[in-house]
Amino acid sequence: MGLFDKLASFLGIRRKDCNVLVVGLDNSGKSTVLNHFKSPDCKDSNVVPTIGFSVEKFKYKNVHFTAWDMSGQGRYRNLWEHYYSDCQGVIYVVDSADKLRLAVAKDELDILLKHPEIKSRSLPILVLANKMDLRDALSPVKIVQGLGLDQDLVKDKPWQIAATNALTGDGLAAGADWLSDQIQLNLSRRK
Amino acid sequence: MSSFRKDKKDEEEGGSGNPFNNLEKASVLQEARAFNDTPVNPRKCTQILTKILYLINQGETLGAREATDAFFAMTKLFQSKDVILRRMVYLGIKELAPIAEDVIIVTSILTKDMTGKEDLYRPAAIRALCAITDTTMLQAIERYMRQAIVDKIPAVSCAALVSSLHMCQYSGEIVKRWVNEAQEAVNSDNIMVQYHALGLLYHIRKSDRLAVSKLVTKCTRMVLKSPYAACLLIRIACRLIKEEETGPDSPYLEFIESCLRHKSEIVIYEAAQALVNLKTSTSSTSSRELGPAVSVLQLFCSSPKPTLRFAAVRTLNKVAMTNPAAVAACNLDLENLITDVNRSIATLAITTLLKTGAESSVDRLMKQIATFVSEISDEFKIVVVGAIRALGTKFPRKHGVLMNFLSSLLRDEGGLEYKAAIADTIITIISDNPEAKEAGLSHLCEFIEDCEHTSLAVRILHLLGKEGPRTKQPSRYIRFIYNRVILENASVRAAAVSALAKFGALCDDLLPAILVLLARCRMDTDDEVRDRATYYYAILDQQSRALNSQYILNPLPVSVTSLEKALHLYTLDPVDTPFDIKSVPLALESETAEAEKKAGAPEGSRTIQIESTFEMLQAAEPTATRLDVFASQLANVPSVAALNLGPLFKSSQPSDLTESETEYVVQCIKHVFSRHVVLQFDCTNTLSDQLLENVHVALEAPEGWEILAEVPCPRLEYNVSGTVYIVLRMPEEISECLGSFTAVLKYKVRDCDPATGLPDSDDGYNDEYALEDVEISVADQVQRVMKTDFAMAWEEIGPTNELEDTYALTALNKLDDAVRTVVQFLGMQACDRTDRVPPGKSTHALLLAGVFRGGYEVLVRTKLAMSPQTEGVTMHLCVRSEDPSVSELITQAVG
Repeated sequence: MGLFDKLASFLGIRRKDCNVLVVGLDNSGKSTVLNHFKSPDCKDSNVVPTIGFSVEKFKYKNVHFTAWDMSGQGRYRNLWEHYYSDCQGVIYVVDSADKLRLAVAKDELDILLKHPEIKSRSLPILVLANKMDLRDALSPVKIVQGLGLDQDLVKDKPWQIAATNALTGDGLAAGADWLSDQIQLNLSRRK
Repeated sequence: MSSFRKDKKDEEEGGSGNPFNNLEKASVLQEARAFNDTPVNPRKCTQILTKILYLINQGETLGAREATDAFFAMTKLFQSKDVILRRMVYLGIKELAPIAEDVIIVTSILTKDMTGKEDLYRPAAIRALCAITDTTMLQAIERYMRQAIVDKIPAVSCAALVSSLHMCQYSGEIVKRWVNEAQEAVNSDNIMVQYHALGLLYHIRKSDRLAVSKLVTKCTRMVLKSPYAACLLIRIACRLIKEEETGPDSPYLEFIESCLRHKSEIVIYEAAQALVNLKTSTSSTSSRELGPAVSVLQLFCSSPKPTLRFAAVRTLNKVAMTNPAAVAACNLDLENLITDVNRSIATLAITTLLKTGAESSVDRLMKQIATFVSEISDEFKIVVVGAIRALGTKFPRKHGVLMNFLSSLLRDEGGLEYKAAIADTIITIISDNPEAKEAGLSHLCEFIEDCEHTSLAVRILHLLGKEGPRTKQPSRYIRFIYNRVILENASVRAAAVSALAKFGALCDDLLPAILVLLARCRMDTDDEVRDRATYYYAILDQQSRALNSQYILNPLPVSVTSLEKALHLYTLDPVDTPFDIKSVPLALESETAEAEKKAGAPEGSRTIQIESTFEMLQAAEPTATRLDVFASQLANVPSVAALNLGPLFKSSQPSDLTESETEYVVQCIKHVFSRHVVLQFDCTNTLSDQLLENVHVALEAPEGWEILAEVPCPRLEYNVSGTVYIVLRMPEEISECLGSFTAVLKYKVRDCDPATGLPDSDDGYNDEYALEDVEISVADQVQRVMKTDFAMAWEEIGPTNELEDTYALTALNKLDDAVRTVVQFLGMQACDRTDRVPPGKSTHALLLAGVFRGGYEVLVRTKLAMSPQTEGVTMHLCVRSEDPSVSELITQAVG
C-alpha cells in the first residue's frame, strides 16, 4: 500500500471498492438490474441472455461496485462457486411472476448458502423480487416464505428483500442503499 | 574484445540472460493465486501471466484441473481496466482454451469487449472468443461476427476473417452463411483484409469447383490491391488448372502470365513459380513455353535482395532438373552468383550450372565448389552430391574428376546421411560405368578404412564382395577387407567375412589364402562372425563350383519369415522325412523393388532399385510377406483348408473382371499351389438398393481342369465386399496348364431400402452378371528367383531339357518395350541387370530366372534384335529347365 493510500485511508476519504455477486435463475433480470446502474452513455439498448458471466462496474453513492453478473442458465449455475471467495455481497434476483420455478430458486439459494465460502462469512444478502409490475407477481412476503428466508439458514447473515422493477428502476435504489450501507459497515468492522 | 568477454560470462552463468529460465510449473501456478486479490495488481498479474504462457510454449503440459483453476482465476482479471493486462488475458484464454473446462464462461464478457468502444480490445477479443466457441455457441455470436467482418477497422476485420477460417474446420455450415460479408471485405482497401477475405471465400467454396472458378474469374477481372491476395489467387488458379486439366488456352493461365508484369515482386515470383510448376508437371514442354517465367527469374538473379536471388535460383534449380535447356539462357547470371556472399545461393547456383552446363565446364565448376564446400551445411552438401550423381550419368567420361572430388568429400567431416549420399553416388557411377569401377572401388576401400558408420561399412563390404572378384586384380581388395576383420565391430566383421568368402568362391588362385583367413576368423569372439566363417570355410573347402554358387553367391531364395514359419511348423509336427526347403514359398524380392521403381521419380529410380535389392539381400524384411497373409487367409476357409493343397506357391496381383464403377465390382486373385489353383473373387455391390444373396461364380472349365470345391458368399450388402472361392485341380500334363475360363456371377437379388439396407420383401429373384474371362498364364505359375551368376546356373542345369525357338514380335518396335513385355509375360527375374537396355543398341540379350510351381527351376536366355527390314523385334528364345514339359510349356506360351 502506497503512502498516498495510507494517508487517504487515515483521513477516511479512501475510495471504497467492493465486489458483489449477482446471481439468480435465468430470465430473472440480473443483467437488466445492472444495466440500470450503469452510466447513461454505456447502457445496453437491448439485453441478451448472458453466457458465462460479465463484469460491470458502476459507482453508487461513493461506493465503487464491481458486479459479477453470472449467467442463470442451468448449465452455468455450477460455475457460480468460482466467484464466491472474493465477493463482499450477494444480490439474489428472483422473478416474482414465475411461481413455478420459485422452488428451483429456493434450491439454488440453499446450495449457495451452504457453500463453505459463504456459510462461514456474514455476507449481506440482498434479494430482489423483480418484475413486480407484472399482474400475477407474488408479494415480497410470499417470496420470503417461498425462499425460506425466515428459516435458520440465513439467521447469521444480514438480509433484505426489495420489490423491484428493473425496467423502470423502481425499488432498486432502496435495495442498493441497504447493500452499500451493509458493506461499508462490514469494511469498517474489519479495520 | 568486449563482446568476447560477455559471451564467456554468459557461458559461465548458464544463459542467465533469460529471466524465465528455470521456472517451475507448480510455483508459477501457486503465484497465479494473486489473480484472486482485490484490487488487482496489473503489473504483477501481467508478469505471472507471461510466465504461464512461457511455460505452455516451452512444452510444459497442464492438467485439466490445473488449467481450469488457472483459467477461472484469470477470469477475475476482467475487473481490471489495464489494457496490457487485458490483452494478456486474451492470450491466456486462447492458450488454456483447449485444456481447461467450462471455458465458454467467458463468452459474454468477450462479446462485450468485441463490440465495445475500446479498439485495442476488439481484435484480440474476437480471436479469443473464436478459440473458445463451439458450434452450438457460435450461433449466439454469429451476429457479432458478421458485423466484425465488415468492420471499418482493418485489424478487427482481419481478426474476424482469420477466426472464421479457423472455425470452418468444425462448423463450416455456419461460416458458409457469412459469404456476403466476406465478399464485401474482398473489396476492402486494406491489403491484409483483402487477402484474408479471399482466403475465407475460397475456403467456403473449396468443395464446389464451379463456385471456385466463378470466384477466380471475378477476382481476375477486378484489380486486387493486395499482393498477398494476388499470390493466393495465383495458387487457386493453379489448382483449378490442374483439376480441370485444361490445355494451354485456359483463361487462368492467361491471368497467371499477366501477373508476370505485376508491379509487386512477390506476385511476379509467385506467378513465375506457378508457371514453372505447371509446365514441368506436364511432360511435353518446350523451353519456349517456360521462356517468360525463366526470363523473369533471370532478372531476379541480379536483384540486390538476397531473398529474391535465393528464390529465383532455387526455382531455376528445380527447372534444371527436368528441363535444363530452358535454364541455359541464365547461365551467365548464374555464373555471377557462384561467388555470392550467401552460401546457400552459391550452392544452388553451382548445382544448377552443373545440370545445364557443358562437359567442358565441369572441371572448372568442380574446382569452384571445392573452395567452399567445407563452409556449407550438410543439407546443401547433399544437394551438391545429388547434382554430381546426375553429372556422372550425363558425362560418363568425366568420372575421374567426379570420383576424385567425391573421395575428397568422403574424407571430410559429415553426418551419416551425407556420407551415405556420397557412397550412393559412387555406387551409381560404378554400376553405370565399368571404366570407373576400379577407381571407385579403391576410393570406397579407402573410405571404410576410417568409417564410423556401421551400416555404410557393411554396405560397402557387400558391394566389394560382389564386384571385387570380377576386377582385374582381386587380390588388392583382400587386405582392405581383412583389415576390417581385425579392427571393426562385430557386424562389420561378419560382413567382411561374407565378402571374403565371395572372393574365395570366384577366384581360384586366391582360394588357399582365403581359406587361411577364414580359418583365423573361426577364432572370433562374436557368434555371428564365427558361424559365418565356419559355414563358408566348410563350403569353400569342398572346392565345388555348384556348391559355391548355390550357397555363397546366390541369396536365400525364400523370405526369412516364411522359412521361420515353415521350420516352426516342422518342429511342431515331426515326421521322418527331412525338412524340404522347396516347401517354403519363394520370396517375392523383386516385387517390392518393382513397385518402388514405378513410384520413384524417373531420375532416381535406378539407384532406388539397386539400393532396395541391397537392403533385401542383407536382411530379408522381418514383416510378414504378402504370401504369408494370403496363406493364413486361405487356411481359415474350411473347405479350402480341408483339401490340404500344400504350401502356397504364388498369389497373383488382383485383376479386374469388371469395368470400374459398374453395378458390381469383381476382382480376381489367383493362388497357385503345386497342383491346384484357388481363385479368389472379391466382389463388391455398389447398388445401395439391392441386397445380394447366395453369390457364386459359375466357371466353365476347359478339358483337363476339374472344379474341386466352391465357397459361395452368402450375403453381399451394399458397399461391403464379400469373397467367393473356387478350387481347381490342374491337368496332369503340364503343357495343358494354360487356360482361360468364362465366368458368370450368379446371385439372388432382393430389393431393399437404400437408407436402412433392410430388404423390402422376403422373396427375391435370381439374376446373373457376365464377367470377363479369367486367364491362367505362365506368369501365374512362375516365381521370380535372383541368380547372381547366371552363366554358372545355366551350365549347372545343362542342355538336357533345352528348347529353342525364334519369334517375331511385330507389335513392338523398341528394345526396352520388348524386354519389359517379355519379363512381364514370363513373370521371371531378369539377371545380371539385363532388364536395362543400353541406349542406341540394336541387339540385346535378356537373361531370366524363375521357379515353376512344384519347384522346377527354369532359366531363359533370349536374344532380341531390331530387324531393319521388317517392323518390330525379333526374339530368339532358349529355355532350360529341370523338367522337359516345363520348357515345352514356356516355348508354347510365348508362341
